[in-house]
Amino acid sequence: MIDLIRDLSPGLATLLTNPQFAFIQLMNSISQGMNLFIIAAGLSLIFGVLKVINFAHGVFYMFGAYVMYSVSQEFGAPFWLGALAAAGALGLIALLIERTLFRQIYEAEHLMQLLLTFAIVLIMGDVAKIIWGTDQYSVSYPASMSGATDLGVTFYPTYRLMLCLIGPVILILLYWFAERTRWGRMTRAATQDREMLAALGVNVPVIYTSVFVIGSMLAGFGGALASPFSSPVPGMDATLIVDCFVIVIVGGLGSLWGSFVGALLYGLVFNFGSVIFPNAQDIFAFMLLLIVLLIRPWGLFGKPEAGGH
Amino acid sequence: MKRIIFSAVASTALLAASGVSAQEIRVGALYPTSGGGAIYGGPAMEGHNMAVEEINAAGGINGRMLVTVARDTKLNPATAASAAKEMITKDKVDVIIGGLSSAVGLAVSEVARQEGVIYIATIPKTIQLTTTKLHPYVFRTASHTDFEGDAMAQLVKQSGGTKVCDIQPDYAYGHDLAAGLKAGLARHAPEVKVVADLRPKLGATDYNVFITQIMGAGCDVVTSGLWGSNFVNFAQQASPFGLFNQIKAYISGGEVASHEIAGKMGDDYPPNVISNTYELWYDHSVPGHQEFQEKVAARSGTKETAMWPVLAYIGVQFYAEAVRKSGGTNSDANVKALEGMTLMTPVGERTINPADHQANTGQFWGPMVKREGFAYKVMHPVTYIPAEIK
Repeated sequence: MIDLIRDLSPGLATLLTNPQFAFIQLMNSISQGMNLFIIAAGLSLIFGVLKVINFAHGVFYMFGAYVMYSVSQEFGAPFWLGALAAAGALGLIALLIERTLFRQIYEAEHLMQLLLTFAIVLIMGDVAKIIWGTDQYSVSYPASMSGATDLGVTFYPTYRLMLCLIGPVILILLYWFAERTRWGRMTRAATQDREMLAALGVNVPVIYTSVFVIGSMLAGFGGALASPFSSPVPGMDATLIVDCFVIVIVGGLGSLWGSFVGALLYGLVFNFGSVIFPNAQDIFAFMLLLIVLLIRPWGLFGKPEAGGH
Repeated sequence: MKRIIFSAVASTALLAASGVSAQEIRVGALYPTSGGGAIYGGPAMEGHNMAVEEINAAGGINGRMLVTVARDTKLNPATAASAAKEMITKDKVDVIIGGLSSAVGLAVSEVARQEGVIYIATIPKTIQLTTTKLHPYVFRTASHTDFEGDAMAQLVKQSGGTKVCDIQPDYAYGHDLAAGLKAGLARHAPEVKVVADLRPKLGATDYNVFITQIMGAGCDVVTSGLWGSNFVNFAQQASPFGLFNQIKAYISGGEVASHEIAGKMGDDYPPNVISNTYELWYDHSVPGHQEFQEKVAARSGTKETAMWPVLAYIGVQFYAEAVRKSGGTNSDANVKALEGMTLMTPVGERTINPADHQANTGQFWGPMVKREGFAYKVMHPVTYIPAEIK
């Protein structure tokens, strides 16, 4: 039996006969998924409240990686300071963009919103080239995480383990913010009826700004965390933004849990798919997307849109 | 739309006014100068401009000046093909020089064939360009995947490894390099087995799934053509697994020995890497190289220079010599002139084989090691592996 499987897919045979290998692939799936979750959560949050599909989210991620490079490699700051600086820098950029540009388009049609966010992609892509040039850079792992950790079953890179842990931490933090704080209640109210919220005397524009800033900070932070294994380089945002859209659409646009589950599914499907059918790596993520769209067009954790416009 | 028509009319008028006369030689340059490819296309364009300026400063060719018409390929074959077509029909270029990425090279070559205009491929390496897709108007001054694969096979033999894991980007270059390597192994080291063939897509960001397969395959040598940021990402992800320490050698095509990779990676550059490059700013074994390198350094404002300028420079050198020899810009006459032409370039003598239009472009190969006086790993010793398949 196993020989038959080996003929069809050597990767699948290894998965079935070597539990260590299967375990490593599971860890690969989780760590990749968690890094993507941090970024996708920001995208989903922004859409959930602002109802804007922000194509520039990928370029924010790229900026995060570049800022990380500058702060940690050029100025020699510790790794985590670099990651916080990346989040902070993107927060500032987002504040500026929201106040000057986004504010003009909340009431505009979707096409206008897409055009604006796409314009930001092009402009920020060129700004990055002016600041950092076109070279690819390399960011070192933090010294304490450059090696591997013994998990009993097998050794696994410490840095990737950290990614597996930081994803759930961010999930819990965001969940706590949304469910347990006043800001969270206002935000949830704003997703349901912004006019009513404004009529009740809540400063809705401030809610919008804060959501956009926090969502963008997540992109910057995610880019900083990705930079040691995904070198900062022009165009690094292009594949990432597609992955993120797959995740948030599978999970349901605007749903935090959806992004989390979507990111995990993406990691699992990509990694195990690549092992089993190495010549068709790209197909699996989109198959996942297709199946979800056929069965639940609003995503696994999303809510169907009530009625027409 | 109006604007496009207007600019088309305007540029035609301009062409007429300036009189695209027999006086100037119009050279089309095709490199990616925006987006991800700009890392390579930018420096290549510098080399191109440097060659053109030098020729013009020396009085042009038979008194005729070179004029560059540059367009951006965006690293995209379709964009490159339409840019090539426009250059020929609208800008009336006499030749197209450049191309980066094998996919772009094949697309531009096809346009050159249809239009009967010479295309000199300075960077694309896929073997198809000068074999199955060969036509009278395409020439290549870059190396190709059979030469590169053969050199890698020789190095596998030298490393003493017997089990090879091969990981290649999933597009024309990677597939052809894998084939070149296998053919080379059959010639030089028939005892060596390729135990894993892995094909991550070009530009993939997560290599863990492939790295762990290599770790599990029990190979003692890894061969690869992952280039540019693909190599950087692969190396950064493989190092924590200890991959580079557990193998005899990581033998890599794709020029990851070049300054632009090694310099940027610094201490993160992994151990046991043996790789190649067309040019090294610190190696002046070829006469005239030092002078060339200093000029590039002066242009770029850095002592250390990238490998890309020399590739574009050589393309212009060859075309200029062809025009000098044939006395004009007639494509068919210049095809004849280029066939069998020998030139001294900043990285050695090159001859174009009249049979397949391929220059005998070998590369510098060697282990990447730490040396005194350098801030990052450099190639030492440097060996030139000539372009020949025995």
